[in-house]
Amino acid sequence: MVIQYKCPNCGSDMAFDSESGHLSCPSCGRQDNIETFPETNILRRFDPEEAKEYHCENCGAVILTEAETTATHCSFCGAPVLLADRLTGDLAPAKVIPFTISKDEAVAAFRKWTKNGRLTPPGFASGDRIKKMTGMYVPFWLYDIDGQADVSALATRVRSYTRGDTIYTETDFYDVRREMDLSYLKVPADASEKMDDELMDKLEPYDYGELKDFKMPYLAGYLAEKYDYDDDALFSRVESKIVPYIDSYISSTISGYSTVSYTNKQILANKKNVYYTLFPVWMVYYDFDNKEHTFAMNGQTGKVVGKPPISAFKVAAWFIGIAASAFAVLKAISFAVGGVLW
Amino acid sequence: MKQFQLKGLMMFCLLLFFISIGGTAASAAVEQRVYDNANLLTSSEIAELEAVAAEHSRKHGTDFLFLTSEEQAPFFIVEYMGDFFDTWAVENGQENAVLLTMNIATRDVYLAGFGTAETTLNNQRVNMVLDRIIPDMQRGDYAGAFRETVTTSSRYMEFRPGVNPENIFFKTWFQLAVALLLGGIVVGSMLYNSGGRVTTTAGTYFDGDNSRVTGKLDQFRNKTVSRRRVPKKSSGGGSGFGGGGVTGGGRSFSGGGRKF
Repeated sequence: MVIQYKCPNCGSDMAFDSESGHLSCPSCGRQDNIETFPETNILRRFDPEEAKEYHCENCGAVILTEAETTATHCSFCGAPVLLADRLTGDLAPAKVIPFTISKDEAVAAFRKWTKNGRLTPPGFASGDRIKKMTGMYVPFWLYDIDGQADVSALATRVRSYTRGDTIYTETDFYDVRREMDLSYLKVPADASEKMDDELMDKLEPYDYGELKDFKMPYLAGYLAEKYDYDDDALFSRVESKIVPYIDSYISSTISGYSTVSYTNKQILANKKNVYYTLFPVWMVYYDFDNKEHTFAMNGQTGKVVGKPPISAFKVAAWFIGIAASAFAVLKAISFAVGGVLW
Repeated sequence: MKQFQLKGLMMFCLLLFFISIGGTAASAAVEQRVYDNANLLTSSEIAELEAVAAEHSRKHGTDFLFLTSEEQAPFFIVEYMGDFFDTWAVENGQENAVLLTMNIATRDVYLAGFGTAETTLNNQRVNMVLDRIIPDMQRGDYAGAFRETVTTSSRYMEFRPGVNPENIFFKTWFQLAVALLLGGIVVGSMLYNSGGRVTTTAGTYFDGDNSRVTGKLDQFRNKTVSRRRVPKKSSGGGSGFGGGGVTGGGRSFSGGGRKF
């Protein structure tokens, strides 16, 4: 099934507008609330052979997509289309964070980021070589995690004092045990195979205040994908993500000791709720030195991640600059304190 | 970047300024500084030592003097040294001096600071100089030990009174190492973070309302006590004595002596 949103005024194809949060018509400028968009203007067509291919309702062209794509543009006439059967049933997202950064804002934010690159070659910042910017909803699983931890540890408290010409070191040993309930809410893990996990982790955090119940119109005008991994498959990844958090919580509950060595640590983590959620990401394809660099931008906060090219000259300049000024400062201090320079 | 270069330039100017204000006025013209009564040095060694001592004496306005003797016991080196200096100071009209006295017969050595040298070469610094020259003395390399006395004392006297001149923070190699390490750490972390930093923390997804400690135990088990002696600072060799005083002529001095 192919879905297109037709403007009640003029019949053009409407797309989601990140500034207003409404469906907006590119021809007449009409804006419609997503919650109240008239059902009659949603054009749905069920295609008997839709498992194979989709057709654009405007021009009849075949919509070519990859198997994971859920929202795209008609490659012929450019109309935003959603592939509804890939967004329903098991594949229906529960939540979505809509784009709050428009394409123009994303370009500006990206340029600003390249200018701030302190180690990037000069041409990287000045050159305007954004080849392509794609707004994409990336599938994530959000896990509410309930857990218990039971830890035992041997802790010591050491104090030392001097009596006469003897130094006494007293070590008190304690058996320490902590049992605790743990709860973590909406820990994300990206469910798309294409997306680099490390890159997606660095895009966090998203502001969950903007988390909305999923409605298809949010996707109009962007690319979207469906998940490649289900929530069971990704749970181990989320577990490995929160174990350091749990460890730091555990150690925060054991305080006042000189040393703590764990003798037993049992952590149980269960998923309580799982939400299939789409997060907004701007993918930026940037040409530099005949090489394409890919960056990702958080479509809600504007945070940019990705490996920029590094200028060896700038690295050396910073290193020498910092080392030389640190040396001068140390010399100045030693002169002030000791009265001697060399 | 521009701001940064400016800062570097200012630092450099500051450095030049500090270099240029070193050094102090010359001392009175003293002709003889080495009194080798025990004939331990050759004439060329004496000439060389006179030259080195004269150079450093001018630098500090303090004369570096050497006195050797071979008197048999009973011999009191502090008194011997005090009497010598009372006479010398009157003859030469100079109260600021560093005086190394040694007696080859009793194997005593005593280093004293008079006048301004009493503070610029205090007891602590005297002992540090002795630590360095005693091994040479024990080997019989008296010329080397005397030269070392001049250069080391002169070096120590450049430092403000009260600070330890051997402190590692005053060593150029240490300062250089710290500076390079700092540059490496800063640039390394810039490189590491150039691709974007992880800004989620343990608190990002933490649900404080439903996380709590449900069981807590801190049970004392046992106690161990270990004892060790306060470590004694080992002296560089031989037994130490002295620690400053006043000469028969009423001149106070800092100092320290050893057997070698």
